[in-house]
Order: sequence, then C-alpha cells, then structure tokens
Amino acid sequence: MTALLSIRDLHVKVGDREVLRGINLDVPAGEVHAIMGPNGSGKSSLAHVLAGKPGYSITSGSVTYAGRDLFALPAEERAREGLFLGFQYPVEIPGVNNTYLLRAALNAARKHRGQPEIDAYDFLEVVRGKARQMHMDESFLSRGVNEGFSGGEKKRNEILQMLVLEPRLAILDESDSGLDIDALRIVADGINSLRDPARAIVMVTHYQRLLDHVQPTQVHVLARGRIVRSGGPELARELEQRGYDWLLEEAA
Amino acid sequence: MSSVRPPPVPGSLSQAAFEQRLRDAVMDAAPMLNAKLLPVSVRSSALNRALAAGLPQIRDDLWRYADLKFLGSAPWAPLPAAQDANRWLDAARAFLPAPLAGFERLVFVNGRHAPALSGSSPAVDADAAPVVPERTRHERFGWLNDAFATDLVRLHVTGQRRIELLFIATPVDAPQAQHPRLELAVLPGASLTLVERHLGDAGGNSLINVAAQLHVGRDARCVHLREQNLAAQAQFLDTLQTALDAGAEYELTQLVLGARSARSSQRISLYGAGSAARIHGVAVAQGHRTLDQSLLVDHVAPDSSSTQVLRGIARDRGRVAWRSRVEVAATAKRSAAEQSLKGLLAGHGAEIDLRPQLEIHTDEVRASHGATTGALDENMRFYLLSRGLDPETARGVLEWSFLADAISRIVDTQLRQLAEQQLLAAVGSTVAREALQ
Repeated sequence: MTALLSIRDLHVKVGDREVLRGINLDVPAGEVHAIMGPNGSGKSSLAHVLAGKPGYSITSGSVTYAGRDLFALPAEERAREGLFLGFQYPVEIPGVNNTYLLRAALNAARKHRGQPEIDAYDFLEVVRGKARQMHMDESFLSRGVNEGFSGGEKKRNEILQMLVLEPRLAILDESDSGLDIDALRIVADGINSLRDPARAIVMVTHYQRLLDHVQPTQVHVLARGRIVRSGGPELARELEQRGYDWLLEEAA
Repeated sequence: MSSVRPPPVPGSLSQAAFEQRLRDAVMDAAPMLNAKLLPVSVRSSALNRALAAGLPQIRDDLWRYADLKFLGSAPWAPLPAAQDANRWLDAARAFLPAPLAGFERLVFVNGRHAPALSGSSPAVDADAAPVVPERTRHERFGWLNDAFATDLVRLHVTGQRRIELLFIATPVDAPQAQHPRLELAVLPGASLTLVERHLGDAGGNSLINVAAQLHVGRDARCVHLREQNLAAQAQFLDTLQTALDAGAEYELTQLVLGARSARSSQRISLYGAGSAARIHGVAVAQGHRTLDQSLLVDHVAPDSSSTQVLRGIARDRGRVAWRSRVEVAATAKRSAAEQSLKGLLAGHGAEIDLRPQLEIHTDEVRASHGATTGALDENMRFYLLSRGLDPETARGVLEWSFLADAISRIVDTQLRQLAEQQLLAAVGSTVAREALQ
C-alpha cells in the first residue's frame, strides 16, 4: 500500500533562500500527521508548496499524491483532486458571497470528477448543517468571503469549507492559532469529524494544544527545512515540556 | 490665460481648422435646429463661447488624459431626422434592453426621439423653460450641445417618478453627431429615480456629445444611474451639471464601460444647506479604450456632504483616468467630503491615472481622501485557485469584488441589480455571475 502523500528529498527555494532542505515524508490514508517546529522552520512553506502557491521554486525532489506527480498539476487541479489547504491567514474577498465560493468550489471538483452540479437546495441544506456544526450563525453564509470576520471566525470558516469539500488530503496551516478555548474545541471537533480511513490530514502547528483535541498518528518536527525527529503523540508532549532548543542542538 | 496658444491636444487639428469645422457645421445643422426648444440667441451665444474656448490645450491639466484625436475628423452637425426612420428603429431594437418594471421609458435613436419605442410619457413638458447652465471651459463641449441639440428631455418632476432614458446609436452611412440632452428639474419635495443609458453602435465616424443638467430642489431626491456602454468604435463626450438645493439628496452611479474614447466633464454643486451627494463610479477599459472622467464636487453651502467611491480597471492597452476634485468654500462650514479612488491594472500596456484633489477654505470641515492603484492581489488569487476555481473565473471573481465596492451602496434594489448585471458582464466571467446568487 503506497501512501496517499509521499514526499521524497524535497528541496525548495524562495528567491536565493533554501526554505526546505530535503523533506521526506509519507502520509498514508486514514492517518493524521502533525508537523511542528519553531517559527521559520519551513512548516508553512511546506503547506504552501503542496497546495501550489506561486513564489516557491522546487529545486529537487518529488511529491506523489494519490499516485500522481503533484507538481505536474496546477493549484486548481490539486484542489479538484481533493487536496485542501486551510490557510493560516484566510483572505477577505468583499462582495463575493461566502456560499457562492463554496458552491463554485464544490462544483469545480464535481465537474472534474464527471459529476453533475449539485442541486442548489441540497447544497444549502448541506452548508447550513455544516455551519451549525461549526457554531457559525447562518448570516455568515450570506456575507462576503471572510469579510469583516474576526480571526477566529475566519479559521472556523476554513474548517467549514473543508467539511463541505470533503477533501482526501487536508493540509491545515496553523488552524489553531488565534483561537480561544471554545473555538479551538469547535475547530478540533470539525477536524475529527473528517477523520476517515480514506482520508489523510496534515496539521501544521506551533503548539501542542490542538493535539490534545485531535490525536495525531504521527508527529514530525521540522527545523531549518528538515524533519529532525518523528514520533508518536508523546513527542508533542515532550516538545511542550522541553521546547524546541534541544532538538535544534541535536540537529545542528 | 496667455494670449499665445500652444498647439492643441489633437495634433492633426489646428485651432483654425476646428473653428472652421464648427462654422461649417452650423450651416449644415441650421435647418434641423428647433428654435422652440432652444432659442437661436442661446445657440449662437453658446457657439461663440465654444469658439472662444477653442480646443483644449495640451498643457491643460483638466484635459491631459483625454484622448481627443478624433476631433480631427469628428462631425458636429446632427443628421437630418431619418428619411429611413424605420431602418433606424429596426437597428435600434437590437440594442434595446428589457423594460425596467415600473419605469416610464423614453427612447432616442441617433439623437432623435423615437415615440414608437417609448412609453406614453412626453419627453418635453410644454410649460418648462429651457435650461442653459453657466458653463466653464472645463465644460466646453456642453456649449456645443447647446448649439447643436435637436431633440431633448425637459421635465419638471413632481411627486415620485421613475424614468428610463435610452439613447441608442445605430450604424449610419454618413458621419454624424448626436447631442443627447437632459434638462431635469426635480421640484421641491419630489423624488426622481433616473436611469440614463447610452447604448448601441454608431460606427467609427460618429460623435456623441451629451449634456445633462439636473436641478434637485429643496428637500427633493434624485437617484441617477448612468451607463455608457457603446460599441468599441464610439467617440463620446459628456458634460454633466447637477445642482442641489437645501436638503436635497443626489445619488449618482456611473458605469463607464464602452466607447473607443470617452470623456466626461462633471460638476456637482452643493449650493443648498444640508444637501448631500453620494457618487459611485466604475470604469472598465479594455482593448484600446481611453475612459477619462473629470469630476468637480463643489461644496458651497454649510452642512453639505459628499462621498465618492470610484473604481477603475484597465486591461490590455486600455486607460482609465479619474480626476476628482472637491472644493469646500469658506461658506461651507461643517461640511464633510470623502473620496476613495482605486485602480486595478490588468494588462501590460494598461494605464490608470487617479487624481483626487481637495481644496478647503474653511476650518470646520471633515475631509478624507485616498487613492491606490495596483494589480490583482496574488494572495487572493491563490486563495480562489486553492479552492478549485480556474484562473479565468478567479480573475472574474476578484475583478467583481473590486468593483462591487462601488455599487453595493446603491440604495434602490432595482438599480443596484441593473448595475450588478452590467458589471458582471463587463468583468466577463459567466461563472462569476453566480457570485450574486
């Protein structure tokens, strides 16, 4: 059984700066992997590169997603193939209805799979249900995308999008940052509800607290563009107690 | 003003040749100029002013972004009322939009009133006197409308009225000028919702020269949606003057979407205490279009307020220029003025020139202004791609988002929907159209 996501010796530059320096990672379906590490270790770069954000140059290595060469696909096709990026800083798009974006995104994926567009009423039922699950008032659905949302509301909206799109691989970039305790629990419940033998989730996080609510299969520590340690959930707790410095010293 | 004139803007046309063209046009136009609508003395004095003003000078800051090359060959005399009127009407029907529910419709084809396409309302109130506003050199082409206008709309509005004015241009064999003209007075306490659209295809050697004068009386209200959506060859000049009496409210929304070259010179005078103007504008220039707007908001009375939200997109080699000047006189105490201008560059040869200007002669005023120009935000674009939208749809959605800011504040639902529909067509994404639903 090959992994859903398989990263081999990935090197990536932003300008002249090498931000990823030989990443190796396998994420099989059914698993939840946490990627932790200090600021500037390359966590967000990894998430961005996988989703196809412009501005990163891949100097060597390969990524296979569901048996395909990920880098051969433009960003929008990765999305339609079931790869979802939950943004650390979701953008505001005023004047463009939140529900519209969700429907356009869902229909783009359905069309890609050769399915008909979703019935508008069925869709609304689904979205309303997911919004309730995320404790979001229905009024959020008719507002502009993230327009005037608080930081926490934006993060919940990302998870809402994820729940509606039902991705095979969700990459969540610091979905826990800026959340209060209640919102953290709601976001975590949202992520847990997506756990499924056919899906994989990669959570990029700085802190251990999200992992109290979403139990990871594996934890990886990224430092200076490399994975310096991998382990089970206990590794996250160790990091919480000891910080990152000891790992950085070992890696140096 | 210096007595020695530098070369005028349109390089191929000398001052003397321009004057000659105007004098010739008077001869050609004479039989068509209805003296009952506008007296000969008015026309002749307007022509003399236009002759004295001459062509805009190349160094004149008010005209520097206008593309007036077409004046070298532009005709000024209107066409005779069509011998082949039915051909005009048939051609015009192709451009005629669906009726707006609840609106009185008045249609003009190639500058001529077309009762066959209009509702039953008259275009001219018999007892209304001609309105010929004072004009400045900024508004110089308005004088040529005074001189050459044939048919016009002249109404005194009482009660509540909703009026749709359609000016349709159709291809004609000979070079021609059209001088659409509005003289509208909203009487005290009355309310007018006005849709004014310039549509159609006049071919390459025609000139459309609009003059609109509006007076909004004491405690009256006027909501005005203007659309210029002419075919890509059109040459369009426009002079708008609106004056607001005490307590009057004016909401102006302009959609500047068509024509090869379009230039508007506009003035909104807040001369009545407590009057308020809300101005929304959107310009989308593609191909080789030059869309140049020059707006003056003149605060004269105390407690007057104005807001402006102007948005422009330039694509391909298109150019959008927006000069917006706010003057607050010493008499306009406790006034408030807000300006927000934004430009979006969407082509390698595209150009945007935004010039907010503010001149204040009193201390007691609240004024703010901002102008920014940039390309589409890459982070916003990537966000949409990461949700599976194709690049073309993402562009349409983001351009829509950029423009929607200007029209989302239109209070009248019917007008807002019309504006939305036209802008979605202008950003050219069928999928983006669903953004509203």
